[in-house]
Amino acid sequence: MGLLTLLRKLKRSDSEARILVLGLDNSGKTTILKKLSDEDISHIMPTQGFNIKSLVQGSFKLNVWDIGGQKTIRAYWQNYFEGTDALIYVIDSADRRRLEESGEELNELLQQDKLGGIPLLVFANKQDLLQALSAQEIAEQLSLHAIRDRTWNIQACSAKTGDGLQDGMEWLVTTLPK
Amino acid sequence: MKLKRFLLRYYPPGIILEYERSSGQLESKAIDLLTLKEDSDTDALASHIIREEPLLRESHHLLLSRLIRKLAAKCEDHLSQRYYLYRTLRAHILPLTNCAFNKDGSKFITGSYDRTCRVWDTNTGDEVLALEGSKNVVYALAFNNPFGDKIATGSFDKTARLWDSTTGRCLHIMRGHEAEIVCVAFNPQGTRLATGSMDHRAVLWDVETNTQLAVLQGHQAEIVSVHFNTDGDKIVTGSFDMTAKMWDVETGKCIHTLKGHTGEISTTQFDWTGDYCITGSIDKTCRLWDTGSGACMDTFRGHTDEVLDCAFNNVGNKIVTASADATARVYNVATAQCSAIMVGHDKEISKCAFSPNGHRVLTASSDTTCRLWSVDTGDCIQVLQGHTDEVFSCAFNYEGDTLITASKDNSCKVWKECEASAPLDAHNDKQIDT
Repeated sequence: MGLLTLLRKLKRSDSEARILVLGLDNSGKTTILKKLSDEDISHIMPTQGFNIKSLVQGSFKLNVWDIGGQKTIRAYWQNYFEGTDALIYVIDSADRRRLEESGEELNELLQQDKLGGIPLLVFANKQDLLQALSAQEIAEQLSLHAIRDRTWNIQACSAKTGDGLQDGMEWLVTTLPK
Repeated sequence: MKLKRFLLRYYPPGIILEYERSSGQLESKAIDLLTLKEDSDTDALASHIIREEPLLRESHHLLLSRLIRKLAAKCEDHLSQRYYLYRTLRAHILPLTNCAFNKDGSKFITGSYDRTCRVWDTNTGDEVLALEGSKNVVYALAFNNPFGDKIATGSFDKTARLWDSTTGRCLHIMRGHEAEIVCVAFNPQGTRLATGSMDHRAVLWDVETNTQLAVLQGHQAEIVSVHFNTDGDKIVTGSFDMTAKMWDVETGKCIHTLKGHTGEISTTQFDWTGDYCITGSIDKTCRLWDTGSGACMDTFRGHTDEVLDCAFNNVGNKIVTASADATARVYNVATAQCSAIMVGHDKEISKCAFSPNGHRVLTASSDTTCRLWSVDTGDCIQVLQGHTDEVFSCAFNYEGDTLITASKDNSCKVWKECEASAPLDAHNDKQIDT
C-alpha cells in the first residue's frame, strides 16, 4: 500500500467509486471485506486504523475503506468522509446489548454533511449465530424506515459463510452513478 | 577580509570558512569536498585548496589537512555496523504517516491519522510535545533544519501549521489550499515554507508573517512532492499530471516543466549542488534532469513495477530507487548504470534513504520490515523486524547512528547503533536504559 497509494486513493476518481465501511468494533467489517476478496478470515485482529481494498463488482471498480470501530477511535471516522460515494454500515445482529449504541452511531453518520444523500447499505451481519435478530427486526429497532434523504437497504448476511454479501454488494452498485 | 574560524560539515563533507569583512560583518563560505574518500590524499588536497582559496595561507596547511582527515574518517564504511531496537513509541492511537529528525538528531517528529504531530526526545524516547489542533490527518511534516526551532505540518484538513518546536505553540495557521496538504518543505535558510496540495497548487509562505508570497500554479493534477535546492532559490514540485516543475522562488514563475514520464510522479529531489534533480514515477522509471536547462539527462530503467520513492546520496553521485516490485536499486549518476539491486523484501518498498555517509540504504516496506543494505554490494545487512503492519516511513539521523521507523501499526520505533564490541542479540529494547 504505502503512503503514495493512500494519496492515489484520495484522488477523486471517475472510474472508481469510494465506499466507506463503518460500524461498531467487532461487527465484522474487516471480515466482510476479506470474505468479499476471497481472503483467509480465520485470524482477524481488531482494526486499529483502516484497511483499504479494491473490489470489482460487475462493471464497477470499488475502492473500499474499512475503518476501525472501537469507541476511542470513532471520533476519527470523519477523517475518511471526503469524497465518499456510498456508506456500508455493519451491525452485529447477535449483539442485542449494543444494538442501541450501533443505531446512535448510525444516526450521527446520517447527519454528517459530507455523507449527505449518499446511498446506505446496512449489513445485518452474523446471521449464522442463533441469537441473531433478523434484518427486519433490526430495521424496525433502528427506525430505518424513517430515512427519507437517501436510498437505503438492509441486507441480512454472514461474513463467516458469505451468505448475503454478494446480494448486498449487487444492490449497492445499482445505486452508484453509471 | 580576515579569516575567523573553520567549521566542519560532515555530510556532505565540506569546510566552512567564517571570515570578517573590512566592514566588520561576519560572513561564511563553504568549500565542498564532495569527492572526498576515506583514503584521499589529505595533504595534497589541503595544498590544492590553499592555492585556490584566497582566504587561506600556507600557514593553515597543517590545520587544514587535519580537518580534512577528520572529514575523511567520517566517510569510512563501518562494515560491522548494526542497529538494535531501542524504543517502541506508542502514543499515537492511529496509523502514523511521515517522520523526520531535527538536524542534530536530538528530537524527531511523527504525524498520524490521529490528527496530531508528536515531538519525541530521541535519547529518552519520551514524548516531548503533542501538537494538537489539526482537524484531520497530519500527513506532511518538517523541521526548519538546520535551526530546528520550528516545525511545519500539513494536514488533510487543508491547512498547514507552523509550530514552535520548544513550546509547542502554534505560531501560524496557513489557510488557502482547497484540498489536502500532502507535502511541506522549508527553504534551508528557514525563511520560507512551501506547501503542496491535492488542489493542484503549491504555495510559498513567509514563515515570519504568514503571508502567501506566491501561488505556484500550472500543474494539471495533485502535487505530491515539493523540495527546495540548497541555495533556496529554486523549488521542484512533482505531480500526478506526470510532470515535475521547477520554480523560481523569488518570482514564483515556472522555470521548467520536466516532461517525459508516462505515469504519475511519486517523488522529486534536488542533489546537493542543485545542478540536478531526480523524479520517480509510476511508469517504473526514475529520471535525472539538468536544472539549468530542464533537459532530461538520463532515464534509469530496470524496475518491473512503479517507482514509489527515490533519493540522492549526500554527495550526489548515486541515487536509490524504491519500487512496488519489492526491490530497491542503486544507480551511478555519472554513468546511469545500475550498481546494485537490493532483493529481499516480500512486498513493495515505499520509502528509501541513504545513510549520511552514503554506505547504507534504508528501505521501508509493506512487508512490515525495514532493511539495511550495503550500497557497494547490494547485500542485505540487517532486517529491522518488530512492526506488525506496513512501515510507511523511515529516516536516518544526521550522525547515522539512529534510525526511526513509522508504521501503520500506530507505533514508531527507534533503533540505535550497537556498540562495536557488544554481541548483537544481547540488545533488546527492554534491557537498554539510559
